[in-house]
Amino acid sequence: MIQAHGLTKQYGRVTAVDALSFAIPRGRVVGFLGPNGAGKTTTIRMLAGILPPTAGWAEVDGLDVEKHPLEVRRRIGYLPEAAPTYSEMRVIEFLRFRARIFGVERGKRRRNIDLALRRCWLEEVKRRPIHQLSKGYRQRVGLAAALLHQPPVLILDEPTVGLDPTQIREIRGLLRELSQTQTILLSTHILPEVELTCDQIIMIARGRVRAQGSIDDLRTSAERHGRYVIEADSAAAEQALRDLRGAKEVHSQPIDGKWRRITVTAAAGDQDLRERIAALLATVKCSVRELRREAPSLEHLFVTMIAQAEEEAATEANRAGSTGATRAAA
Amino acid sequence: MRAVAAIVGREVRSNFLSPVGYLVAALFAAITGVIFLARTFEQGQPASMRLVFEWGTWLLLFVCPAISMRMIAEEKRMGTWEMLNSCPVSERGIVLGKFLGGMIFLAIVLLPTLVQVLALERYGRPDYGEIACGYLGLLLAGAAYLSSGLLASALCASQVIAFLLTLFFWLGLSLCAKLLPAYVPARWADVAFASDPDPRLRDFAIGLLDTSNIVFFSTLTIFFLIAATRVVRAGRWR
Repeated sequence: MIQAHGLTKQYGRVTAVDALSFAIPRGRVVGFLGPNGAGKTTTIRMLAGILPPTAGWAEVDGLDVEKHPLEVRRRIGYLPEAAPTYSEMRVIEFLRFRARIFGVERGKRRRNIDLALRRCWLEEVKRRPIHQLSKGYRQRVGLAAALLHQPPVLILDEPTVGLDPTQIREIRGLLRELSQTQTILLSTHILPEVELTCDQIIMIARGRVRAQGSIDDLRTSAERHGRYVIEADSAAAEQALRDLRGAKEVHSQPIDGKWRRITVTAAAGDQDLRERIAALLATVKCSVRELRREAPSLEHLFVTMIAQAEEEAATEANRAGSTGATRAAA
Repeated sequence: MRAVAAIVGREVRSNFLSPVGYLVAALFAAITGVIFLARTFEQGQPASMRLVFEWGTWLLLFVCPAISMRMIAEEKRMGTWEMLNSCPVSERGIVLGKFLGGMIFLAIVLLPTLVQVLALERYGRPDYGEIACGYLGLLLAGAAYLSSGLLASALCASQVIAFLLTLFFWLGLSLCAKLLPAYVPARWADVAFASDPDPRLRDFAIGLLDTSNIVFFSTLTIFFLIAATRVVRAGRWR
């Protein structure tokens, strides 16, 4: 439904989006994740046909975004960040304007507007000027405007920013309802939201895709970097665990009384280490009151990914610096 | 076409949803009304709208940039420009919609002056050909001012700068056309003289319908609209 091939955007010498490629099948809810400044909004603007790419191409519903911008926009319901609306208009006036500009036929217009008002819980405020509404309501007006022409693709940039927990839950429910009929690309950096709403994730940092796949796949890959927490009463346990095969890092800290909490981070690619740890601890003369594996969250994966991206960027900058210095010396 | 009509409708309404629109319309009606009452609506004066039209074109030089300055600059400031750009409407459609919306609002601003025509009809025998020619002049000048203002609004982030740029462009054009002929070769003096909008507007006011005047303002309007479309498109490509 949505495809990106080597999508690149450069602003002068700064590369905001660097050869991004991904494919989103019909009917999926995809979380587009990344830290602030990762290139999410730039990518979304390129997909929505607002910003042309410097290189690469994108397709929505089989149509090339650059060649058929108007047709593509007709197929997309786009909610920009901060949901901009004409605040001097009343809610219903704004929705009528959007329906007309999207070419919704006169006969269908009223029905679509009523449906969008109902779905976004706006019926009570439909005659109120938008500038009198709270941020949450304005966000919903933007969402209703994106749904009006019943597009097959929804692209939502941070749709829950500024909403209270109840409203976030309502939006989540709505997205789940919409996912029955629409393909949704949801840009956000709120991880629990993605875990609850999306069935696929694309993680980007510094303009590049760092991880993509189903949530389960990503969680499994994150689990490879699992952490084990042991509470034992002897420093010998810590010493023994340092020699454990498959352990990458071992940290220890004293807790109440004689007990120490030892954390073992597994090296990538290793299986469950619990049995091995238990066997090892049995050989050391110590009491153990806890041994558990901490399932790493998406958050852990996200933070690791950002750290890697930063590291890469620093290495590249160093290399560029040293090349420049060598050239200058020559 | 439906999308352009939607933009036209919103543009006209937005002028009535802000105090600026009412203020501009009220000031125009008040000033032309005072001129009419003080200078034309007197015993022995000809039943003519000439003075109202002559003053009207000067007033439009302030009214039109005030209408056009917010058209694009404000949308960019409010963030609605991105929303509008995600709609299935071309750059040309956006520019045309905004321009036509401005023209309709301008026509509404001119509407109260028809009361003065009715007064002339009641107390004298006005020449309707001259009056129609005067209104055509106001609309053509308004179109040229609005389109140049639209270009300025597309170029500037600030509405105030867009307003001043439009105003100074037309004042500068008038001034150059009057001063330059004394300093440049005769061939260029003709060009400078021909580019002066003032005598052309005076022709319209006195009921002189000259094709070259119509062509002058229409060409400038089309030029500015095309330029504004290009600027909007270029903005999208940045």
